[in-house]
Amino acid sequence: MQFFHDTKIDFLSKRRIFFFASIIINIVGILVVALKGLDYGIDFVGGTEVGIKFSGSSAVQTEEVRKAMDEAKFSGSEIKSYGKSDEFLIRLPNLVGKDYSSSAIMESLKKAFPNQTLTLLKVDKIGPKVGAELRSKAFMALGLSFLMIMLYIAFRFEFLYGLGAIVALVHDAILAFVVAVMVHDLGIINLEVNQSMLAAMLTVIGFSVHDTVIIFDRIRENREKHKNMPFIDMVNLSINETLSRTINTVMTAVLVLIVITVFGGEVLQGFAFVMLVGFVTGAYSSIYVASAFVAWYLESVKKYDLHVESYASISAKAKA
Amino acid sequence: MTLKKGLLGKWLIIVLPLLAAGLLLFPTFRASQLEKQRLELVKAKNETALAAFDKENGETLRKNKEQSLKLGLDLRGGIYVTLEADVIRLLEESAMRDAVDDVFLETLEKTRQQVDAGGDDDVLPVFLKNFDAIARPKGRKLFSYFDAGSNRDLSEDAIVKRLERNINEAIDQAIEVVRQRIDKYGVAETTIQKQGTRRIVIELPGVNNEAEVRSLLQTTARLEFKLVRNNAQIVRTFYAIDQLLKNKGVDASASTTATAATASTATTTAASTATASAGSADSAKKDPYAGLTDDQKREKFKKDYPFTSMFVTYFNPPGEGQQPIPVIYEKNEFPEGDYSFQIPDESVQKFEEIMARADVRRIMGTEYQAIISAKPEPFFERQGVKLYYIYGVLAKPELTGDVISDATATFDPTNNAPMVMMDMNADGSASWARITGANIKKRIAIVLDDRVYSAPTVQNKITGGRSQITGSSTIDEARLLEIVLKAGALKAPVKIVEERVIGPSLGEDSIRKGIISGAIAALLVVLFMILYYATAGVLADLAVLVNITIIIAVLAAFAGTLTLPGIAGLILTLGMAVDTNILVFERIREELHHGRSLRAAVDEGFKRAFNAILDSNITTMITGAILYYLGTGPIRGFAVTLMIGIVITLFTGITLSKVFFELILSRGATTFNLGQPASEKA
Repeated sequence: MQFFHDTKIDFLSKRRIFFFASIIINIVGILVVALKGLDYGIDFVGGTEVGIKFSGSSAVQTEEVRKAMDEAKFSGSEIKSYGKSDEFLIRLPNLVGKDYSSSAIMESLKKAFPNQTLTLLKVDKIGPKVGAELRSKAFMALGLSFLMIMLYIAFRFEFLYGLGAIVALVHDAILAFVVAVMVHDLGIINLEVNQSMLAAMLTVIGFSVHDTVIIFDRIRENREKHKNMPFIDMVNLSINETLSRTINTVMTAVLVLIVITVFGGEVLQGFAFVMLVGFVTGAYSSIYVASAFVAWYLESVKKYDLHVESYASISAKAKA
Repeated sequence: MTLKKGLLGKWLIIVLPLLAAGLLLFPTFRASQLEKQRLELVKAKNETALAAFDKENGETLRKNKEQSLKLGLDLRGGIYVTLEADVIRLLEESAMRDAVDDVFLETLEKTRQQVDAGGDDDVLPVFLKNFDAIARPKGRKLFSYFDAGSNRDLSEDAIVKRLERNINEAIDQAIEVVRQRIDKYGVAETTIQKQGTRRIVIELPGVNNEAEVRSLLQTTARLEFKLVRNNAQIVRTFYAIDQLLKNKGVDASASTTATAATASTATTTAASTATASAGSADSAKKDPYAGLTDDQKREKFKKDYPFTSMFVTYFNPPGEGQQPIPVIYEKNEFPEGDYSFQIPDESVQKFEEIMARADVRRIMGTEYQAIISAKPEPFFERQGVKLYYIYGVLAKPELTGDVISDATATFDPTNNAPMVMMDMNADGSASWARITGANIKKRIAIVLDDRVYSAPTVQNKITGGRSQITGSSTIDEARLLEIVLKAGALKAPVKIVEERVIGPSLGEDSIRKGIISGAIAALLVVLFMILYYATAGVLADLAVLVNITIIIAVLAAFAGTLTLPGIAGLILTLGMAVDTNILVFERIREELHHGRSLRAAVDEGFKRAFNAILDSNITTMITGAILYYLGTGPIRGFAVTLMIGIVITLFTGITLSKVFFELILSRGATTFNLGQPASEKA
């Protein structure tokens, strides 16, 4: 079976529009997220989070749980539904001098809901110091990844391509993050900013560059093979040649990730969803951000007419 | 049929890894088999059969378990705890007690602030830097505070080295003590690891009593026997503290929260007694409390007696049947004799804060200490009021916990209350006999972690080396006490900074969902590959199967743990492994399309695809490594499976798949169904 055979789509002609659109979406996204604020998980702000399941004859509402907590003097609690109905995540901030034990919370809830059986699903307690540490480590991890990957690509290809790859990466990371925040706000999937989300972002970064590398590799091959082909045509050729593989890989990955998002349970859901978005944008950005960036740089900064110049002529001029 | 040398090599490449994987996975398989059998016996409650089984298979089971793949906490349920040693406290306690002054405390405080804000920095350098900045300009040297031990070398370097050694030893000792405690608590397959310079990471699978674990791990368990001295000396010291704080304008009323019934009763009683005694005292003196409302009286009382207004002092006159007389700290005249002090729950924190002040410590001196009881007075507690006792004791302990050779939690035969009986070693017994002999009819306080558990009166000399700690509310509490006493005291106090509890039901749920989604994903991918790439797709699927098996085997070899994110990592690796094959197949198809022979196309395909495969996998590896170093717990599990997965994928995707093709080619095939359009089958 073969879907894409000998395609000759002119990808790069529309590149300016897409590039522009990407920039705008990114900026808008960042603004929206900045204005809304981030919903940090306790991994990064510290606190106590208790997951409780109610099994009884009647359904339990979030409001009832909150009232019960307030009355038991556990003030400042945040209640979220978790997974199926009748499963709740109760979050309490770290207060100086107060030490919330899960047994104390369970006791109060048992008293408040005598007709329900309570099961403790999980407890997470992060001290404020550890929370702050994880946060700073998260930023470090992101920064380090960007740097290392850029260096590696620059080393394997050329510095310009390294730059292009990074721009695509940052674009993917921002988009994946922004989409995650918005979906979280809509309450569909629990996507608070915690370690899981960080792991997903880092993986997105790792895999997103995967696609970009495939195209760059083809460009690297083609520019030797078709030394005198105009640059734009050569890049288009490279993209078309790798199209079949790109589509297939993205499809298998997307398939796998959709399955996990739907069937994998709460813990894996958020993770898989972020990766899903990252993969799709990753494929898109390899064409319309990474390659487009390289083209843009050669065109606007170095002022080559890429419809005429070929790789051979460009390198000759660069050496001169 | 003769196997050519090259072909044999190729078959080996396929067979050997599979064999190795099988070998590595065997322990996991065998262990789970034996576990199942054992579980049956446990369920059947067949004691004799169980004992026989353990005797015969116990060793095998244990050894196999060690080499098995373990399930992470998030799959099995359990508790994950990060303990941090309070090195600053350790430094404080390493210093000579009477040398501690404001400057030293200030240095420590500054160090604590910096260390708390930052990460896992080494504490000692920060402390030394602050010492240089704060203490040295005031003329202090390190040996002003830290004694150099038996070594006559008072040089700063020697002291620093000694401190360093103390700190490292304390943390290593903490790990040992924690290990002992957990062993005795009875959890199997725990992991205890040092993290950074002063953290300990502990995994307790299958445990979910969070409160007990906290108790077990955070108790320092420092046991001391101290002589009680509730005498006039202590009272005079309290008076001096009052004066000191009054002069400095320290407010005791800031401590009490809202209306504390006992506190206000205490102060009102004291205030009215003050009024009474003030009236009965020198009549020429004006009554300072005259004309004030009750509230105003209370406020003035707190201001006049900033320290002593927090508790109630009684003088116990000698002789039978005498009533205790409340004591007012108006004048520094206190009769010799026995006193007692009661403090309400709400004032305890402020009391301890005040006692921690450097100026107060100077007044207290080094001979005496004021320690609060561990449990509230049961009589008042039944009436809903929490009242604790304060004990004046000799600061230097007569005996410490290292003489305890054994401890047993049991029930007191006289009142059926839970308690812990302690046995001492030979030295301890001799000392204990001497101490009790010298203090008949006097009280000895049993102090655990700076709280008095009990202060019994010595009736006669105790020669058997026995003593007991009463006051545990439940037998479980007594058992925890028993464990920490047996395992020994921590040199450096520890604090829990991170804690995750996974309930067993969530664990099972997660496993189920993880496996189901994994299976569905795998199925879909397998189908897709066959559909799109025909026979080659089948080969790819086989390679991926080998891939996953080897990854799990490698994990088992390292006795690694499989976590839920780890399963996600595996599923992802599935996708990436498939991608590697897709890259190669697309390339082969392309070469066939350009008219190459099958052999040449295969060669070209693998060769050309190699670069791209290498680059993209290395970049993913980079992010995996970063995640590993900067992540904790389950995230690490993900990073590990990801990185192992990439390495193995490189192997199966390139080497193994190629070998499959080579084997097929060696049989003389010239065409191959890679799913390409019919016209191109060369």
